[in-house]
Amino acid sequence: MNQQLAGFAPSPVSARMENHGRTMLKVAMASGQDLYARTGSMVAYEGFVQYEPNPPAVRQIAGQWVTGEGTPIMKCAGDGLLYLADYGADVVVINLNNDSISVNGTNLLAFDAHLQWGVEKVKGLAKFAGQGLWNVTVGGTGWVALTSRGTPIVVDCGRGDDETYVDPDALVAWSPGLKVKGKRSFKASSLIGRGSGEAYQMAFSGQGLVVVQPSEDSTDRLRIRG
Amino acid sequence: MAREFQRGHKAKISDLTQGTDLYVGVQIAAPGLTFDISCFGLDANEQLSDDRYFIFFNQPKSPEESVQLLGAQSGDTESFRVTLDRIPANIQRLSFTATIDGAGQMSQVGPGYIRIVAGGEEVVRYAFTGSEFTTERAVMLGDFYLKDVWRFAAVGQGFDGGLDALLKNFGGEVAEEEPAAAQPPAQGAVPSFAPPPGGAAPPPAFGAPPAPPAPGAPQPPPPPSFGAPPPAPAPHPMHGAPTVAAPMPPAPAPSPYAQPPGQPQAPQQPQFGQVPGQAPGQFPGQPPGQFPGQGQPPGAPSPYGQPTPPPYGGQPQGAPPPGMPQAGQQAGAGLLAALQPYKEAATGQRWTPQNQQLMRVDLAMGGAPVLARQGSMVMYQGKVDFGYKGAGFAGRIVGNATGQEMQLMRCSGRGQVFLAEEASHLHPIELQGDAICVSAENVLAFDESLQYEVRRIEGHGIPGGALFTMQFQGTGTIVVKTHGVPVVLPVTPTTFADCNAVVAWSAASQVILSSQVRLRRNAYPGHSGETVNLQFRGAPGNFIVVQPYEV
Repeated sequence: MNQQLAGFAPSPVSARMENHGRTMLKVAMASGQDLYARTGSMVAYEGFVQYEPNPPAVRQIAGQWVTGEGTPIMKCAGDGLLYLADYGADVVVINLNNDSISVNGTNLLAFDAHLQWGVEKVKGLAKFAGQGLWNVTVGGTGWVALTSRGTPIVVDCGRGDDETYVDPDALVAWSPGLKVKGKRSFKASSLIGRGSGEAYQMAFSGQGLVVVQPSEDSTDRLRIRG
Repeated sequence: MAREFQRGHKAKISDLTQGTDLYVGVQIAAPGLTFDISCFGLDANEQLSDDRYFIFFNQPKSPEESVQLLGAQSGDTESFRVTLDRIPANIQRLSFTATIDGAGQMSQVGPGYIRIVAGGEEVVRYAFTGSEFTTERAVMLGDFYLKDVWRFAAVGQGFDGGLDALLKNFGGEVAEEEPAAAQPPAQGAVPSFAPPPGGAAPPPAFGAPPAPPAPGAPQPPPPPSFGAPPPAPAPHPMHGAPTVAAPMPPAPAPSPYAQPPGQPQAPQQPQFGQVPGQAPGQFPGQPPGQFPGQGQPPGAPSPYGQPTPPPYGGQPQGAPPPGMPQAGQQAGAGLLAALQPYKEAATGQRWTPQNQQLMRVDLAMGGAPVLARQGSMVMYQGKVDFGYKGAGFAGRIVGNATGQEMQLMRCSGRGQVFLAEEASHLHPIELQGDAICVSAENVLAFDESLQYEVRRIEGHGIPGGALFTMQFQGTGTIVVKTHGVPVVLPVTPTTFADCNAVVAWSAASQVILSSQVRLRRNAYPGHSGETVNLQFRGAPGNFIVVQPYEV
């Protein structure tokens, strides 16, 4: 039995964050290198890792993100290996090298605590569910892990003359340098969506990248569980 | 703009290009096979009267160097330089052939082509796929022939024997020993030859394992670069073998499709248009050898344990300036490097799978609108109009359905639309006059040129009272989505499928509702066993597609 399962043993650590399979994130924790992770995303850990939900520092930065349940971010500190996952979503590990990325709140899995980050609400957009589209801008030099339902795609916006329009439910991340605006495509004759969510798009223009997941499932599963 | 030739097309060379110093590139590849690509210089009787005009790996040039073998370069499995006005008068025809070295047959061949490049520009291309052939072991791809003037014909004719049989057919004699070593062509022997554009010199080495080409989706080939042709007549996987790259100033023409030479091209493997000046690199956990030129050992597992060759494995980079050290060879830091594997695939096709779960349709190609399931658009670029579609169609369904309707939207205009839904697997099916039935909820999008009608399978026990399927017919592409990896079963006398899991079936098979009657069927409450199944009947050759997910 061990032989068949042996193939799933973790590989030796070679970086701060690594993929284990496509849907699990392995973080090498060391004291002094704290990590912010989505609350409830921990699936396993080895060593001595402590979790602090609703840390005060987060409340300062992300006060407006706080809902009734508190911020959806916990602070992890300690030594060891930490395994994170979000209900089988693909995990994308990014090693930021003095650049920054804006990530949709539900698609953020973990990031280094020393990175600069902030929470903002995308203006002019309100989803049907009533909650706005929150996004977290992370910048600096360090590691960030995103989740995506399905293999994501990265599109370069600056390629064509036209703007790139993205379904907000499928949006994962984008370069902060892009200009974002909401677009309603209601027309008298052609009404797309008819309540199925396609009436709003986000239009991106400028130089930069947009990451989109192949799914319109933007439910925050970690939050549902509470 | 290159002209696309079909089999049998002929044209005067002078109509294609004014030049007489031509580059002929051949791409042909199949998993596990190697090919000998040769050029026969034939006389008026189509005989190889002069052995010196049999240009192959062991004789890379004709005596006066009017025909030269250049080796594999930039996407072409083999390439030749043909100087028409230097060909002696007794040579009336140049026949370009590809033969399989060893066992194999031409039907295994993936998409390939023969093309002519003159003055740096591709002027004509004849593309073929293995499906045009059967058990042949050689194929005559194209001919240059002299009839008043030099002309080019796309031949595409299979030949049963191998290279020796082909040679005998042309009246040549086979020397007993078949030399295996390839002779490198003399480099720099073609001073005045106008190379095709594309600054990508062949990378120093490539560690990407050659992905087997899957038939179906040919890819626009790269403009060949004129660097140092690797001394290999056939695409041997050259793992880590350093090849000298000729330093060459980058041509102004962008060539995002530059390809490592000698690499059999995987057609479904997308190539990523890169941001200029982007630091190429990788992030850990990604297969080494992703970028040609990195010289990393191949064979590492795919990044996320994907069983299939990753759609982003082994893609080339967009024309790095030669001589520039390629940064980020190991763990590439930075945002761009991390997101590199997910870059948009750029192929000039109407339907391009970006990955297993995302499909891009380029509305500008073909011009016809696309009907897609509402809500399936995740992104678009360009001027695309989304219209509500459904009055006629949905009305018909609604007319006889209870709650079963499929809402479509009509995407028209110019631009690229990215379609996906719930990360389900997408499968483009190209119909060429045939018909397929697809369960309505598994249709993601289709060309408006397809005719479709709604069929209804009634029966007790089917949830909702009936099963709706859409029968598509005509010429075009339909994208079917499945949850998970589907299974395709041939229709036999005893083929059954759960009506909730069946996705599609070939329209010629007949569907019967079969109920298993069991005595103790309702022995306990809440019983929901597999009591109602669909049985399929049909002639051999029919198939059904079942997904591992019961909707």
